[in-house]
Amino acid sequence: MVSMLIPGLPLLAVLVALVVGWRPAMPWAGVAADGAVAVIGFALALHDIHGSVPSGAGGNLRVDSLSAFMVIVIGLVSMLASWGSVRYLRYEVSTERCTPGQAQQYAVLIQLFVTTMLLAVLAANIGILWVAVEATTITTTFLVGHRRTRGALEASWKYIVLCSVGIGIAFLGTVLVYLAATHAGGHSLHALEWTWLSTHAHALNPAVMRLAMGLLVLGYGTKVGLVPMHSWLPDAHSQSPAPVSALMSGVLLSVAFYALLRFKVIAVLCLGETYPRELFVALALLSLGLASLLLLTQRDLKRALAYSSTEHMGLLALGAAAGGPLAISGVLLHILGHGLAKGVLFLASGEMVIADGSSDVDDARGLLARRPALGGAVGLGLAALLGFPPFSLFVSELTMMRGEMANHMAWAVGLSLVALAIAFAGLTTLGRRLLFGSPPGQAPSQRTPLLVMAPLVAGLGLCAAIGVFTWPFDEILRAAAKLVTS
Amino acid sequence: MTGITVWPVGVVVAQVTLFVLGAPFLVGLMRTVRCRLEGRTGPPVRQTWRDLRKLLGKQRTQPEKSSVFFAMAPVVLVATTLVVVAFAPLLSIDTVFSGGSDLFAIVFLLLLGSVSLALAALDTGTAFGGMGSSRLMAIVALAEPALLVAILALAAPVHSSSLPIIVAGSLHHPMWLATPQRILAFGAFVIVILAESGRLPVDNPATHLELTMIHEALMLEYSGPDLAFVVLGESLRLLVLLALLSNLFVPWGIATSLTGLSFVVAVVSLAAKVALLATLVAAGEVMVAKLRLFRVPELLAGAFVLSVLAVLSSLVIA
Amino acid sequence: MRAHGAAAALLALTSGTVLLCAALALWRRAARGIVSALRVQGFALAGTAAVLGVQLHEPLLLVTAGLLVAVKGVAIPLLFGRLVQLDPSSSETDPVVNVPASLVAAVVLTLVAFVATRPIVESVRGVPITLVPFGFATVLIGFFVLVARRKAVSQMVGLLLVDNGIGLVALLLTTGVPLLIELGGTLDVLLVVVVLRVLVTRMHAELGVFDLDSLQELRD
Repeated sequence: MVSMLIPGLPLLAVLVALVVGWRPAMPWAGVAADGAVAVIGFALALHDIHGSVPSGAGGNLRVDSLSAFMVIVIGLVSMLASWGSVRYLRYEVSTERCTPGQAQQYAVLIQLFVTTMLLAVLAANIGILWVAVEATTITTTFLVGHRRTRGALEASWKYIVLCSVGIGIAFLGTVLVYLAATHAGGHSLHALEWTWLSTHAHALNPAVMRLAMGLLVLGYGTKVGLVPMHSWLPDAHSQSPAPVSALMSGVLLSVAFYALLRFKVIAVLCLGETYPRELFVALALLSLGLASLLLLTQRDLKRALAYSSTEHMGLLALGAAAGGPLAISGVLLHILGHGLAKGVLFLASGEMVIADGSSDVDDARGLLARRPALGGAVGLGLAALLGFPPFSLFVSELTMMRGEMANHMAWAVGLSLVALAIAFAGLTTLGRRLLFGSPPGQAPSQRTPLLVMAPLVAGLGLCAAIGVFTWPFDEILRAAAKLVTS
Repeated sequence: MTGITVWPVGVVVAQVTLFVLGAPFLVGLMRTVRCRLEGRTGPPVRQTWRDLRKLLGKQRTQPEKSSVFFAMAPVVLVATTLVVVAFAPLLSIDTVFSGGSDLFAIVFLLLLGSVSLALAALDTGTAFGGMGSSRLMAIVALAEPALLVAILALAAPVHSSSLPIIVAGSLHHPMWLATPQRILAFGAFVIVILAESGRLPVDNPATHLELTMIHEALMLEYSGPDLAFVVLGESLRLLVLLALLSNLFVPWGIATSLTGLSFVVAVVSLAAKVALLATLVAAGEVMVAKLRLFRVPELLAGAFVLSVLAVLSSLVIA
Repeated sequence: MRAHGAAAALLALTSGTVLLCAALALWRRAARGIVSALRVQGFALAGTAAVLGVQLHEPLLLVTAGLLVAVKGVAIPLLFGRLVQLDPSSSETDPVVNVPASLVAAVVLTLVAFVATRPIVESVRGVPITLVPFGFATVLIGFFVLVARRKAVSQMVGLLLVDNGIGLVALLLTTGVPLLIELGGTLDVLLVVVVLRVLVTRMHAELGVFDLDSLQELRD
């Protein structure tokens, strides 16, 4: 029954937004709801180590360690994003960039978005998963276009068209899995359940599953933002309001990736290691290569962060390709660390847009001198993203690489290191210009409000703490990784 | 034995006579339908025959410096069409060359007439002649592939492109008539027939506007008996095409045995079907406007798509 | 046996119509014509579900058919109808790929679909499954429309062609996915169309255009 409760929490915040209408204090309902989601996620994850699976909604939802872990990620990052939304909405309404009605619409949609993501990770069968992922596209389109500029319009059009096509392809893949399952003796919704599929994977028709897996990777890969299906991602991330970018980059991509992780297990059981691994490695290296090269040319912080997301998704795909318990627990930890670091950086970029009118690096040079607190947060965030200790991305990247080496993927690790070096060069150049360059004009130094700094500090602190302390995540990750290693 | 050998020759004679007599009436009928729908009285149905008779009595003229192509074209047009009329299973499945009335052969025989007319128009050396023949060739070049592929779709289920076998096959398996490949091929056939016989929306048979005419431009220099031959040949070709269309897609009524009664039934039913088709075409012409010339390729490309889809469906369903 | 043959022929007819409508959408230039092709396609898709339902005695498939008629045959074309009224002159005046060439492309894509689906058709035999290439070809033509057409309405049509094609493949392959999924999927499509419609009206209100070529400032 608990699994029913989790998606209900953000829905409560939706209700609040609908009933109360726009008030400066209204967005706090979302922060509270998302924080509660994270807490419940923790409780479930710790509880689940002992192996019980609460399910609800007529067997359509269920929780295991992996989905509990994803609930934690969604809860934490969306709490940060909602926190940032408080500031964003207040600013937009007070400067009359958006009407109270639009602010209310935003508050409703962002919590609906969180709900759909929660449904996706809690789905007991691949059909519900598909419906939920498609629903994330619908709820986010208006959020992407919330600023109503020409660019936002273009980005939201591209976003919905590409993602709908991608998710359509994923549906085709789902249908093929269903075909294979019914031929292997499954019935109706039961045949689409994760548990049924993994216990009967050996009986599924390999020819059909091969095609199905290809389509699923292509379809959900679009939503993950893997090259070559990534073209919506930089536009949508750069044009959305900062909290929405934080949510999309920090968790939406990972939720789609979670689907791929689960499908891969079934594919491995049915088709053996080689084919799924080749598929994942190919997409991973493409994403790493292209994204890191494009990172070199970026002048806009948000766009650069978007390409960095594609790059990190490539890292995840490479880790998933290796597939051992070590690599997978690295992948999961990386999902969490990346979500937090990206969330912080996007929120900070939103503050830059508010202060300097754009997220272009050249308009915001000398950030550290002008706004020490904000600049410091950006600097630390970039350090976290680049994999410096003590942040958890250091641990997770190392773990993934150790896992990959253990699975004889040394050549892929080598290539990924080259890409990481290029991305490192790109991001540090950008960061140096942004933080230390000479300020344009005579901009006075400003204090950054506490409301802005609080989520940034919280995110960075969490990211560092997870990197330093092993408890409680080591146990959670071990249990979760066991579910997606065959 | 004698009865059987005599009858097919009878069929040939009957087909040729009936078709030559009927073709001008077909053109007249279509003109009358069009006039009535447009609220005009129009000339009587037998007007085309009257025109032909009058033209036959007139003197021949031939442009200076034109060669044998110009002189031969009307004869070739009528002759090739008559060969088709003689040997195609229009009234009966049993014909003299029942193995020889291949759909591909029929299509190429009909094409020969068009090509000779186009050559003759070039031969006259006038601007309109050249324009007309280049346009006709452009249309034919697009229409023929569509037609050939559509034939393939019809030929696939019976593994033969022989017209009597296709017709007999669809008589035995009425289910085939509603299959997608038939319907798609029918669409392609209709478009190609409209294009080949110079009807709307590809060409307006009633226009003499220089910029738009195609078929009229080809026969501009003909007069007297030559013009009569061209008109007869074109109307004969329209009749043959419509008859083929009705036999391929609605074959009921065609004579399968060579008794007198079935033959009469065949004549009456074919006349009715062709008259119905002609009325529909004429009524359709009232509704639509002529396509601009550069849009014609789009229409014909559409016909090509239809026929390819027809072939693919016949592969899937077989 | 005879009834079985009739059902097979009907199935071939309805699924063939789905593909034909995709080709028609490519053929027609006027937005109105494209939308009516889409409407017919919706009905053909519903017809496929209905025939399968009757043939296999699956009442749930009839429910699916009703759902498809309501959403793809009626609701979505209605939504489009308003858009077309907003921009009465909307037609593909200058498509990226001209009409004859795109029709030839459609032929090529159809052939590709037939070749690509061979493994499935041969590994899982059965009457409906032999028709899968029709659906797959529709999907590919939809992709082509998405790439080759720049009018907002045409792009929406392309998306729906992809979706209808996938729907057809799903129906033929599995004789219907569980109703819950079907319901979710169909409503999702409806919502996507609603969202796209809002975006188009916004585009029209704020920029005065329906052309996606005027939206090309985001690129690297």
